[in-house]
Amino acid sequence: MEILDLLLQGLSVSLVPANLMACTIGVIIGTLVGVLPGIDTISTIALLLPFSYTMGSTAALIMFAGIYYGSKYGGSTTSILLNVPGEAASVVTCLDGYPMAQRGRAGAALSVSAIGSFIASTIGVIGLTLFAPPLAQAALAFGPPEYFALALVGIIILTNLTGTSTLKSMMMVSTGIMLGTVGLDSLSGISRLTMGVPELDRGFELSILAMGIFGIGEILTVMTKPTTPPTLPSIKLRDLYPTKEEWRRSVPPMFRGGVIGFLVGLLPGPAATISSFASYAMEKRLSKNPAEFGQGAIEGVAGPEAANNSAVSATMIPLLSLGLPFSGATAILLSGFMIHGITPGPALITEQPGMFWGLIASMYIGNILLLIINLPLIGVFVQMLKTPLNILMPLIALLTLTGAYSINNSMSDLVLIVICGIIGFFLRRTGFEPGPLLIGVILGPSLEQGLVRGLIICDGDIWAMITRPISSLLLTIGALVILYNLTSWLIKSNKRRREGSC
Amino acid sequence: MAERIVTLCFLLGSSIYLFGAQQLTFGTIDSPKSGFLPNLAGLAGIVLAIVLLIVNRQCLSKPVKQDMVDWTKFIFVIIGLIVYITVLNIIGYLAAAFIFLLYLFKVADTGGWLVPVAMAGSCSVIFYLVFGYYLAVTLP
Repeated sequence: MEILDLLLQGLSVSLVPANLMACTIGVIIGTLVGVLPGIDTISTIALLLPFSYTMGSTAALIMFAGIYYGSKYGGSTTSILLNVPGEAASVVTCLDGYPMAQRGRAGAALSVSAIGSFIASTIGVIGLTLFAPPLAQAALAFGPPEYFALALVGIIILTNLTGTSTLKSMMMVSTGIMLGTVGLDSLSGISRLTMGVPELDRGFELSILAMGIFGIGEILTVMTKPTTPPTLPSIKLRDLYPTKEEWRRSVPPMFRGGVIGFLVGLLPGPAATISSFASYAMEKRLSKNPAEFGQGAIEGVAGPEAANNSAVSATMIPLLSLGLPFSGATAILLSGFMIHGITPGPALITEQPGMFWGLIASMYIGNILLLIINLPLIGVFVQMLKTPLNILMPLIALLTLTGAYSINNSMSDLVLIVICGIIGFFLRRTGFEPGPLLIGVILGPSLEQGLVRGLIICDGDIWAMITRPISSLLLTIGALVILYNLTSWLIKSNKRRREGSC
Repeated sequence: MAERIVTLCFLLGSSIYLFGAQQLTFGTIDSPKSGFLPNLAGLAGIVLAIVLLIVNRQCLSKPVKQDMVDWTKFIFVIIGLIVYITVLNIIGYLAAAFIFLLYLFKVADTGGWLVPVAMAGSCSVIFYLVFGYYLAVTLP
């Protein structure tokens, strides 16, 4: 009952015209991000950070969250129409979505995807409403040793963030931690590792790093890749109605996908992608006609699309209640929070309940808006796909540079953003995903403060630090993850060595 | 090969970082100072880079699939970015943005001249109005 009252309070916050406008803009941009291949959620949020300075904190957070969950709605459009996933989480949608389009059922696939996304997202947000506050309440008992353990476990687990090489991810995380220590030390006030450059006293600004590595890096990647213009089918409103049979087959996978997505979303890593594959596998197993999968089975669209949307809502639970980003996108979302002086975690819920509940209420509204936007306007989004990348990318490049300059009116930021962009381009090409680097930059300071303060509190007794009940539980989880990673890596590398592939 | 070069860059960067961290006070285990975590992070970076080099050498890691890249375009885009930053304070935002956009449109194979010039002109003015007036950013 208390939660319902708080949610109603949140609703009054999210229905303020400025916040409602921010939510609408966020979900529209999110949908576009999902629809347009070559632009991803992380880059978009990074690019829009400077724009958010003129907005109120709550409105900015609502907009960023809208971009984040809205992007998963749009991701299915290109998967179904072009066999090109707009998002990693929509890869599996290609398997049956595109064959459906080839059979002339693109409209039905798109509408089932949108409705499934809505149902599952709502399941996810209900879960967020119920589970985030108690988790944050439990986290209020945390002291520096617990925060150190939490940050350390977060970093350990997040080395699996991208699904690529764990070693490379660890390298990126440690580089992120190193970058995070540059500048004024918050504990002693000493200027560290600035090499005499006064601009580095304020440290590496998270938004500049993100805009460079993700924004400019992405622009370089897309502009230097050979592309062919897509041929698109035309979608009319009457094509969007699924048949009774299609409905009957879609509804159970939507709910199952919603539950799977929510559970997977509570785990660190690329939850939206993993949950979509898990849902697809489950639907195939439960199907009476598994042979239809890959040929245009509607369950293969409904389940995975529901799962990836639900997972996105679930990843907001650790972010909002513990301040832990469990994915690259939530890491950049966290940076958006921090730029506005808001630190997610237990304090957010107790000290700024209006903002917290306003954000959650906006997600309910945002999902309704996404359903309204996605169904009738699908034709418009299909037309958007015709926007040539050779026009779009230069505009995004100028937007990024202008946005970066506007943060501090600093030319050195522009130099840094270009350097970061080139670095980001080469990192991606060599399999070093930049997401974990951002995690390191964000969690590094928490790790340091927890470690230093924890050691001082415990008189340098590390054993006392790690045997506190919550710390030991968290560190045990971390140790198990390391053990699992090490074992699976050894098995894979042995297999590769036997095969002699290099 | 590219992977190895990037890993070597990480090794070099971590070594330089650790050298810098050595200049800071490490403190003791019961009273850590500002150099405590930087020293540990630098050391971890070096160890990880060495392990990665060994893993690459022994072919224990999965080879990375690389997309085709038009390196000529890559160099031209970088030149465009550098020139934009260089001339921004000299010729001002509006002119720099117009030249930068027009240049990138042509690098990205936008056909003809009328459309790129019109697009570059109108977009640079729109950006100038949005940032300079609406967002009240002091543009050069």
